[in-house]
Amino acid sequence: MHAKKGKKLQSLTAMSSALLTLSLAVTACGGSNGSGEASPSASASSSAAASPSASASASPSASASASESAAPAEKVKIDFWTQKFEDTTDAWFKKYVDAYNKSQSNVEIKLTIVPGDAWDQKMKAAQAAGKAPEIRTISYGNIANAAKTGQILPLDDLMAPAVFDDLYDNVKEFVNVGGKYYAYPKLVEPSSVMFYRKDLFEAAGLDPEKPPTTWAELLEDAKALTKKGVFGLSIAQNAPDLGWSSWGLQYNAAGHLALTDDWSKADINNDGYKALYKFYQDAYQSGAMPKQQLAPYADIKGFGEGKVAIQICGSWAIGQLRNSYKNLIDKVGIAPMASIDGDQTKPTATLGGWTLAVDGKAGHPQQAADFISYLLAGDPQIMIDFFKSAQFSKFSPRKSVDEAMKTDPDASKDTWRALIAEKIIPYAKAEPLYPWDVALAVSTGIESAMKGTSVDKAIAKAEKDVNDFIAKNKLAGTNPRA
Amino acid sequence: MRKTPTKRDNGPAYLLLAPILILLTIFVVIPFFYALVVSFYDWSFYQESAFVGVRNYYLVLTDDLFLESVWTGLKFALMVVPAMLILAFLFANVVKNLSPRFSGFVKTSIYIPTIISGIVASVIFVFIYDYTAGLANYILGWFGMEPKAWLAEVGTALPSIAVPAVWLGFGLTALIMLSGLHDIPESYYEAAALEGAGTWAKMRHITIPLMRNVILYLLVTGFTAQISQFELSLVMTNGGPLSETVTPNLYILNHFRNDVMVGNSIAASLLLFVVLGSISAVIFRVLNSEKAVDG
Repeated sequence: MHAKKGKKLQSLTAMSSALLTLSLAVTACGGSNGSGEASPSASASSSAAASPSASASASPSASASASESAAPAEKVKIDFWTQKFEDTTDAWFKKYVDAYNKSQSNVEIKLTIVPGDAWDQKMKAAQAAGKAPEIRTISYGNIANAAKTGQILPLDDLMAPAVFDDLYDNVKEFVNVGGKYYAYPKLVEPSSVMFYRKDLFEAAGLDPEKPPTTWAELLEDAKALTKKGVFGLSIAQNAPDLGWSSWGLQYNAAGHLALTDDWSKADINNDGYKALYKFYQDAYQSGAMPKQQLAPYADIKGFGEGKVAIQICGSWAIGQLRNSYKNLIDKVGIAPMASIDGDQTKPTATLGGWTLAVDGKAGHPQQAADFISYLLAGDPQIMIDFFKSAQFSKFSPRKSVDEAMKTDPDASKDTWRALIAEKIIPYAKAEPLYPWDVALAVSTGIESAMKGTSVDKAIAKAEKDVNDFIAKNKLAGTNPRA
Repeated sequence: MRKTPTKRDNGPAYLLLAPILILLTIFVVIPFFYALVVSFYDWSFYQESAFVGVRNYYLVLTDDLFLESVWTGLKFALMVVPAMLILAFLFANVVKNLSPRFSGFVKTSIYIPTIISGIVASVIFVFIYDYTAGLANYILGWFGMEPKAWLAEVGTALPSIAVPAVWLGFGLTALIMLSGLHDIPESYYEAAALEGAGTWAKMRHITIPLMRNVILYLLVTGFTAQISQFELSLVMTNGGPLSETVTPNLYILNHFRNDVMVGNSIAASLLLFVVLGSISAVIFRVLNSEKAVDG
């Protein structure tokens, strides 16, 4: 009797436990999605890149619909989602969406601004429900995969061929997959620029007009600049940040990225990558870097608050410095990131950035593409307005816009803009297209080297992880650009 | 006095059960079986899904990071749940003997963290653990110690995240414990006192055995909740340093966000379900080895 009851009780409890965990598992998986951090994907890292302030200020109120005017019923309504960027960018989008809606009576663009950390979840949910917006922002790194899986449409037949001729040759490649253009670029931003404090250089007996040009000099100067309360150097120091911010330096040291061209195996067990791992390891262990990051790589807060003498950050930090740390500006110098051997024509940065694309299931592809033509590929003044509002911290992918900017008084006298446009961007490379797992395996290796693993061991482990990933996911031969 | 259930009662009973059954069916049962089906496909929203058999499961199970994340989740739960239960038990015993008015105040105060969202708590603790300006390193400074990289050191990252988890869960756990304590009839203690039992004897032979069901409930919900925890590590460390604080749900979320095909994350979710189910089953088994006592 007793045993029987016990058995019954057991099966009952087992069942209720199953139900309980089931509901918990389900709610936990689909539950809250808010977070303060930018997500560690190539795409979203550029979102952090594009908007260091956005991640902090992401809030439900950030989503706003711009179009208020009630449209006549025959108007075609087109949803347009952009990620949340700086407030100035949001305002620019709203301004020109409104202008476009007023300029004609056939199409109404409905703008929705989605916080960067909610983007992936919201977009996936909309795609699953077949309600994805017809026009969306997409970063360079995601275009090839989205094109391959049919998430976005080729624009060759939807936009005038001349608008693609207006693009710089290296940027043209960023949006081209298999000979077709799948997106139209809005901006490029180099992922690493060296910001340094001229006054602290002087105080430490260094020449403020001669920022370090080799990695060795950089480490030496960083040590000399480290004082109580001030760290000499700040650069990415955890795997998710290193994953994308080190691409430029991988090119710099090794001349290539982590995979062979046909994606058949890892290509990191070489002197270039060893030097790169060693550089990060030395930087971290020298004591010139904070042991725990003061802010994520994309955020120049630590430098802005005076706690860092040399900070490596993306060009977007110019906007942050000019908006949030105005009194520091006079003391800030800016230079290309140091190169492994001092050769400053080697790449030190990759170009991240944003484009607009038309959804693969769009109901009105022509109208959607027309809007993209208007906003990004039309009147250069629209884009100049954007670069101005972004404090020239972002750069144009279009020759005609740069041409027009030469005659613009604000743009032409901005020396930081000139330095980045002339000394960094021409040598910068495209972001890799391989899956984020590969980038993360390499950067996890870098982080473990920083935390004390020997360089050889860290590289061997990363190489094995990457090769395992390639084998398991049958990656060999799938490079869409090969 | 027990009434035999009659047919007359069935109607209202089903009616009352209907809402939760319908909701569970829509939001739990159907999605669960749908997920089960999808987990066998290479699933994308724009192309035909391709049947791949158990490949998604194979990929997840051979991914060291997934196994590591389950282990991380277990370690995390083992740090948080016992600490939380012991603290809450002690606290509940203290509160039980306070004057009603004062205990009301104390109960309200300890409940406050429960209504704070995990995200907010994470942000607060990120400030506390800040390397140069955080409270934790400020206090270390009093003793002349070097600042510690709480969230960036392999050894301290997971415990540092466990602290806010305890803080968040403590209030509710303590209140449930307290109501369990109040449920134990005073007469048992009086009788024990007459037999000469001391405080410890009363606790060992009366309080703890009679709290069995409460503790069982808290253990099961605590373990499943803590292993499923992901906001704390998402906000505070993003899984770092290295992958020390990647909990299973953070692993799933990362795959969901980054992967081109979503089959992998669904397979991982279902495997996590199996893990959580087995842990709950083990807890039930261990604690139910004797006949459950009804207070």
